[in-house]
Amino acid sequence: MRKTNNVIKIKDFKVDKGLPFDQEYNFAYLDENTKKMIRRAIIKALCIPGYQVPFASREMPMPYGWGTGGVQVTASCLTKRDTLKIIDQGADDTTNAVSIRNFFKKTSNIKTTEITEKATLIQTRHRIPETPLKKKQIFVYQVPIPEPLAFLEPKVSETIKMHSLSEYGAMHVKLYEDISKNGHIETAYAYPVKTNDRYIMDPSPIPKFDNPKMNNSPAIQLFGAGREQRIYAIPPYTKVKSLDFEDYPFDPFKAEHACDICGSKNTYLDEIIVDDAGNKSFICSDTDFCNKRKNK
Amino acid sequence: MIIPLLNVTNLSKSYDNIVGCKNISMSLYPGEVLGIVGESGSGKTTLINCLSGNLEPDRGKIIFNINNKETDFLNISESEKRKFIRTDLAFVHQNPRDGLRLNVSAGGNIGEKLMSVGYRHYGNIRSLATKWINKVEIDKSRIDDLPITFSGGMLQRLQIAKNLITSPNVIFMDEPTGGLDVSVQARVLDLIRSLVNELNLTVIIVSHDLAVIRLLADKMIVMKNGTVIESGLSDQVLEDPQQEYTQLLVSSVLHV
Repeated sequence: MRKTNNVIKIKDFKVDKGLPFDQEYNFAYLDENTKKMIRRAIIKALCIPGYQVPFASREMPMPYGWGTGGVQVTASCLTKRDTLKIIDQGADDTTNAVSIRNFFKKTSNIKTTEITEKATLIQTRHRIPETPLKKKQIFVYQVPIPEPLAFLEPKVSETIKMHSLSEYGAMHVKLYEDISKNGHIETAYAYPVKTNDRYIMDPSPIPKFDNPKMNNSPAIQLFGAGREQRIYAIPPYTKVKSLDFEDYPFDPFKAEHACDICGSKNTYLDEIIVDDAGNKSFICSDTDFCNKRKNK
Repeated sequence: MIIPLLNVTNLSKSYDNIVGCKNISMSLYPGEVLGIVGESGSGKTTLINCLSGNLEPDRGKIIFNINNKETDFLNISESEKRKFIRTDLAFVHQNPRDGLRLNVSAGGNIGEKLMSVGYRHYGNIRSLATKWINKVEIDKSRIDDLPITFSGGMLQRLQIAKNLITSPNVIFMDEPTGGLDVSVQARVLDLIRSLVNELNLTVIIVSHDLAVIRLLADKMIVMKNGTVIESGLSDQVLEDPQQEYTQLLVSSVLHV
């Protein structure tokens, strides 16, 4: 007869409300060799601002398009002393943010926070927080399509050549098309930038309102694209310039309203339909900033 | 003394054992239109692709001499070569769909060439594009339309505008009227001829159609099996062909 041994694992329930810490996983899910490989890619990316470094992206326990690249970069940078903040469209409490936060709670037992200033590592989908990033913070972007030239040139061998020879003239074609169709540059997110006067870079689908925040930022900015297997980076205090025309300068557009919750006039707003009559409300997309302002 | 714009010596290119072109030497002077004729497979396209940087020849020399600056085309770095191709050369494809972006408006297609050489002022790009759209006889109201809504002849004229807008020093044309019906051919040829006269363009044009060559080219070369068998002023070659093959070629032209 088989022994029916005690198969229940002892789990650590000390962590706050979220999922219990599961010690069966290596710290932050990825094995150490994978982290080493990713860290090497990150270091290379930091040395060549805006250059896309290929890396051997792993399959993660979440679907592509949900931040597999960002999660791998975060997992490789995370230490036991880190305080982690995860945002999705500026909010700490939306599906993507909650599930990734739970993932790291379960696999690494580190502290998490919703307060931008307290975080040492922030992973984001589609926003940069309103609170300015500071020295010693690492800021990780989730990137769906890392190649800014992809819409112009489908051949990767050709886009690599265009980058290496700085053949970026065609990049303005998209902006030209925008102006001729709409009278102004319509591109509102994933607005291409030139990093350190050299590489054209896709800043991931952040609103163009956030583009100026990347320029000369004291934080380390890392970009991870899991499906496309690319990592790129902006080291601290690096020049990041949005592309434009001399007679149509870059304009970081936002809705012309104040936040209906905190009253802020210079933050990026979400437009929300509040009833069947089509009435709408504008609120800050950065929930942490909005809550702090409201409670003041 | 006038220095040739382009000097080619002993240019050869083969594909494994098949000869593309062999020991071609020629020169081209500013403002000259050179026709290259020959039957299919005679090496016309291989030659023009080597000269325009689309193909890497096996042996030989290509020297461009533009504004008293000599460029050894086969011995410059890739970035210099691509820059040279971008600013000094232009290539009109037989199929305009190969030379245009079909998902970008007509104005965007013409403007791309300007933006790739450094134009960053929308107003200037726009007005130059409009000027050139007019020049190639396309109504300027079509400037924001996608090329897929254009007819074959309009597409070819659009491609020509795109190539000429930056005033390149040498223009390569590979069967520019090849895919068009006869009446449209006539119109496109007429346009090319008037632009050549007006702007004093230097052109190398490949065609198997002797009528096109007679109409446009000052000088011509006849190719067979990858080599040049006859060359000279086009009137002279066409009126008094010396080689058997050229005689055959000239006599096979249909006279309606």
